[in-house]
Amino acid sequence: MAQKNRAGTLAAFLAVLYYEFLWNIRKKKIIAIFIIIFAIATVQLAFAPIADAVANPPQTLQANPTFTFDGIAALTGIFLFLVGVATTMNTVSGEFESGTIVPLLTKPVSKTLVFAGKVVAAVTTLLAAYAFLVAYITVGGTLIYGPQDNLNVVPLGILGLTIGSMVWASIALTLGTLSKNSVLAALGSFGFYIGITIAGALIGSFLGASTILFYAPGMGASGTTGACAGLERGGGQTFSTGTDGLASMLMRWVLNPGQVLNFCGFQFRASGAPTTTLLSSDTFANVAFRDLWVSLVYVAGLLLLSWFAFRRSQIAES
Amino acid sequence: MPDERAIETHDLSKKYGDRLAVDRLNLTVASKQVHGFLGPNGAGKSTTIKMMVGLLRPTSGSLSILGQGVRGDNPKVRRKLGYMPELPRFPKHLSGEELLDVYGRMYGMSKTERKGRIPELIKMVGLEGRGKDRIGKYSKGMQQRIGIAQALISDPELVILDEPSIGLDPVGMVEVRNMVKDIVKSGTTVFFSSHLLAEVQQVCDHVTVIHLGVMRYSGTLDGISSNVFARRRIVIELEKPVDSVLASLKTLKFATAEANMNTYTLHLDTREDVRAEISRAVTGAGGVIVRMQEEGGGLEDAFLSLVGKEGMA
Repeated sequence: MAQKNRAGTLAAFLAVLYYEFLWNIRKKKIIAIFIIIFAIATVQLAFAPIADAVANPPQTLQANPTFTFDGIAALTGIFLFLVGVATTMNTVSGEFESGTIVPLLTKPVSKTLVFAGKVVAAVTTLLAAYAFLVAYITVGGTLIYGPQDNLNVVPLGILGLTIGSMVWASIALTLGTLSKNSVLAALGSFGFYIGITIAGALIGSFLGASTILFYAPGMGASGTTGACAGLERGGGQTFSTGTDGLASMLMRWVLNPGQVLNFCGFQFRASGAPTTTLLSSDTFANVAFRDLWVSLVYVAGLLLLSWFAFRRSQIAES
Repeated sequence: MPDERAIETHDLSKKYGDRLAVDRLNLTVASKQVHGFLGPNGAGKSTTIKMMVGLLRPTSGSLSILGQGVRGDNPKVRRKLGYMPELPRFPKHLSGEELLDVYGRMYGMSKTERKGRIPELIKMVGLEGRGKDRIGKYSKGMQQRIGIAQALISDPELVILDEPSIGLDPVGMVEVRNMVKDIVKSGTTVFFSSHLLAEVQQVCDHVTVIHLGVMRYSGTLDGISSNVFARRRIVIELEKPVDSVLASLKTLKFATAEANMNTYTLHLDTREDVRAEISRAVTGAGGVIVRMQEEGGGLEDAFLSLVGKEGMA
């Protein structure tokens, strides 16, 4: 009997997934967003060859073995936000707005299973979209810029992009579930994104790479492989380490786990220019691990809140 | 032994803020019965049904469907019932067949079962040739039809139809009624809500009347007119208006009288045949009767007396 129930639950869950995939595949907003993403990737791929071809005199295209790696690491900020929000902004609220929630919730599928199906479908959609995008960049990059380095860490990049996007997707999903309004979900998420970006920039300007930025969603704190002393930061590379930079951090975790990142702060004086000081240091491995769990805590916490709101929801109007 | 009661509620109530939408409803629907749930718009029919299918939580009271208590989110109960919401809305990006297929999967139906059942239902609801079209391209009537089909996808023991013919043209209404009659033939219990007495009269054998959230009557359809006192009227037309006739009619204890030119209407408070007494009162006051006619007292008047005239607005 218990086995039969489990089989029934699995069949119902797969049915919800199927229902969600049909919706996602045919959702015009998602299709439009993905067309834009691929257009941007195409421009990124074609920019250097076109620039070289139109230069006077025409230049020979240089090989770029880090094109794929750099391309993935560059996918941050508004890009992750847009893809994530477009995927989930009407996952729940759209059902309430269109009234399709009524026939759905009167089928023999628990609300928890419906919610789980929606979340799994959203994660799978993001994962598939990023996998296609990265495959496109990789194949295109290899054909145009020659053999690519570090392709073994590309799957980690895809995972990082998906989880980073899911942070924004979870915010949109939660706002959509609470408000039952897709426009409010999208605008609220955008407001949150702008707010957190401005707050992050202000904190970064006045306090530097403060600890608080390690735990905020978005761009997070900037770390450098160079030194903090003096205004000139010792010539190192600078990296964003927030939830948006997870893909880059996960890939670097494998490539340079022991590489140290310095997080610098500012010391303001009564007279003269402020000086930079070292606030903290950590390895890529530790920074990537922290980024990963901060992202997962945001996703889990927001999904839990959204699930609770969904379970409590009643449908008075149809 | 199977439970003979398909639906049973005990003091079921639902409050929205301070407004009591359903007030201590005690309803019993026997199995294999076509039970009409009748009441004017805003009576509490849809709220009651939404509690039955799990879309709303009762404020108080209890509810059982097919012998199982409904508390919270209970998919087990929903496995045995099919529900068609009032003005159903389905995902527009799916075709009619895809909708039935995906809902069939949710009921745990195998591919073979779905393959057999879907064309059968598409044919039954008259959507042959349109099953592969997207629902977004369906007319309102077609959406009602696919709504009925999805309620029947799992061959449920109980079908709940919430105003299935609302918004349809007269031909569509007749077709929906015929579909309900077909469902009943298969031995399924049907709980059918409507604000139209004529519709319920043609489909149901039992009825529950609800108004302002309160149950006013539950029993057989015929029982309404025999159990519910419906006011009759007697309309008298005189050769010419006579002032003393109205005064004389107003002295009758079993009626209230009103006049309009040479036509006098008496609203009776009795079931007795009082035509002779009225005739004597009129002629005694000098009136000459040219027509006397009894009106009302039927099912419609019984229903009106249950819900009040404002209920039919």
